Amino acid sequence: MTKILLVEDNEMNRDMLSRRLQRKGYEVSMAVDGRQGVDMARAGGFDLILMDMSLPEIDGWEATRQLRAVPETKTVPIIGLTAHAMAGDREKALEAGCNDYDTKPVELPRLLAKIEALLGGPR
Amino acid sequence: MSAGESGAALTPEALAELRHDLRTPLNHVIGYSEMLLEDAADPDLSDRRARLEETLGAAREALELINATLGVARGAGAGEVAQLYEALRGPRGRIVAAITALLAGTVDGRDGSFSDDLQKILGAAERLVPSGAAGPVAPVARTPEPAPARLPDAPGTSQARILVVDDGAENRDVLRRRLERSGHGVETAEHGRRALELLAARPFDLVLLDVLMPELDGFAVLEAIKGDPALRDIPVIMISALDEMPSIVRCIEHGAEDFLHKPFDPVLLRARINASLEKKRLRDQEMEYLREVGRVIEAATAVEAGTYQHGALGPVARRADELGRLARVFDSMVLQMKAREGRLRDQVRDLREEIEQARRDTKETPLAVDGGNLRTGERLALRYEIQTVLGRGGMGTVYRARDLELEEVVAIKTLRPEFISDATLLARFKDEIRLARRLSDQNIVRTHDFGEWSGVYYLTMEYVEGITVRELIDTRGRLGVSSTLAIAAQLAHSLAVAHEHGVIHRDIKPQNLLLDAAGVLKVMDFGVARLAERTTSVTEAGLVLGTPAYMPPEQLMAEQVDARSDLYAAGVVLYECLTGQAPFQAATVMSLVAKLLTQEAEPPELLNSEVPPALSALVLRLLAKKPEDRVQTAAELVQQLAPLG
Repeated sequence: MTKILLVEDNEMNRDMLSRRLQRKGYEVSMAVDGRQGVDMARAGGFDLILMDMSLPEIDGWEATRQLRAVPETKTVPIIGLTAHAMAGDREKALEAGCNDYDTKPVELPRLLAKIEALLGGPR
Repeated sequence: MSAGESGAALTPEALAELRHDLRTPLNHVIGYSEMLLEDAADPDLSDRRARLEETLGAAREALELINATLGVARGAGAGEVAQLYEALRGPRGRIVAAITALLAGTVDGRDGSFSDDLQKILGAAERLVPSGAAGPVAPVARTPEPAPARLPDAPGTSQARILVVDDGAENRDVLRRRLERSGHGVETAEHGRRALELLAARPFDLVLLDVLMPELDGFAVLEAIKGDPALRDIPVIMISALDEMPSIVRCIEHGAEDFLHKPFDPVLLRARINASLEKKRLRDQEMEYLREVGRVIEAATAVEAGTYQHGALGPVARRADELGRLARVFDSMVLQMKAREGRLRDQVRDLREEIEQARRDTKETPLAVDGGNLRTGERLALRYEIQTVLGRGGMGTVYRARDLELEEVVAIKTLRPEFISDATLLARFKDEIRLARRLSDQNIVRTHDFGEWSGVYYLTMEYVEGITVRELIDTRGRLGVSSTLAIAAQLAHSLAVAHEHGVIHRDIKPQNLLLDAAGVLKVMDFGVARLAERTTSVTEAGLVLGTPAYMPPEQLMAEQVDARSDLYAAGVVLYECLTGQAPFQAATVMSLVAKLLTQEAEPPELLNSEVPPALSALVLRLLAKKPEDRVQTAAELVQQLAPLG
């Protein structure tokens, strides 16, 4: 089963998104801040990471940079989730090493399309 | 800060934040409703489906309203935002009604997760409109969310505590009812004394004060309020039947915010009260802002004093504005700094343990007092009394001596005369020593003086009670990663300082690195290696310096030597610390040189599995054959080492 790591500090966002992804057949693990996200991601086994960008401890941009700097997570696809659809956020996320990005609140069909595109087609 | 126009356009950041604050709860409503709909496929649950569809429809309608007002390309004003809040009440009410009806039909115990999700929807709907802007909703368990961006309140939505002071019962009653209808909390006083009692007893946001009253009139009350530091900032609006300029002027002179004539025009009353409250709110906000700026400054002072606790800026850090960002950045920088300090302390502690262990392992070797040309008790230059021989190297002997002039212990290095055989060499050497003497750093052994005494050239230096990294490696085999990093950081720092002063060491090797009992690394012999520069051939270098193991190819080939040559040598030292062996080994100098020039070193992580790959890679990069492939400056090395600690 495809394994997704969801890094998100907002409890309700985490609960909802994880359940909705599970309903679509993904196995979802969760981290509540950037540090935990990096630790879990480095421990391995994820096919894709959904990374909220505004996180406590270390933010999503920094977490992504850290993950891109180590061999074990260098190539894991990361979708950055940014709160504000401000111009420049997309570039910032991609610059940090995200493969794609989406704005919050998440619209599930749009996010699913991005996930599937990165994983190489629907599963 | 001005009182701000209610129609002023909001900044793109504020709009984006507001859009997010509104869309997030809506997305929760939609997400949970869709999930519950998926679960309600059963034909028996058609009622449930209908209500969930009603919820979804209302939520989508709300989303359209939000997008229409706060679309990315538009610049909405505070007035439009207020209208949006008003418009959102409809769909929000429908969501609350549908979900409340569904909740009423649930049975405790049986519908646990269903009713949990309904509560979540209800909680999300509650967050859709700021508190005070909508009617009551069923109490629900709320998930803590970050505070929404602060916005000008929609007209008539700010709740204030207002004190009405009027001796006419009918006036009091009219004002009370009008104000309560606008959502304010109202208390009344029938005369001035009562008003001051109430003001002393509890906080108010605004006072409406009649001018003409028995006992204590409005002017006197106004004076009392404005003369009391605790009350001074409460805005006062005077109410008066006297349609006279002098009366109004007097009120304003006494510090009244505004005035109203009886009988009241309801629209004017509302407008002026809102304007006064808005001004007070802005002033309070400004005061609060200044207080929080004060907290950040206090925190900076605490950092300097070393008493800052992480999270102490909590309330400021939760602000949505630049000050909040400053506080968050500040807080996390302090956290990182503390973590780094902690790691450095740990490294130095490990290093000290290694040094102590090495001391215990080294058998006290009897010091050869007569090993050099000078003997114990002998006086050099009438000033230095020789005590013991500290060591002997390719260039001369090092003694511990007492400086009789300054009454302190120094190290003296005598130089073999063949190194200073002609005037040119001597002049060049003196230049180098002059440069080295400028280096003053805790990681560099200080060079004091250079002199000559009856044919013996000598250098006096700071005496360091410690052991060399050579001894440490020889007794311990190899050093821990943490100890190596402590050495690396200090070595890189000392090189950065020296290079900045234009001094290249040219002979960095474990023998030249001293560690004192506190784990402080001191690099010695800055400037001295210049003496060996006259040697141009590989064999001669080998003869002169014992081993070329620490020399980069460009130095072996007698090409241009620069700061990067020292970095290569530092790489060899670190390699040895981590693995207990030099990167290249050979039986003869010639074959060693051949290896140095042609072979790649084995990665340290293969020889010691504890070495992190990043550190291993960094060491290999220092060992690059071409200077341009190495870390380019010692300062850069300091930076690259920092995250590895």
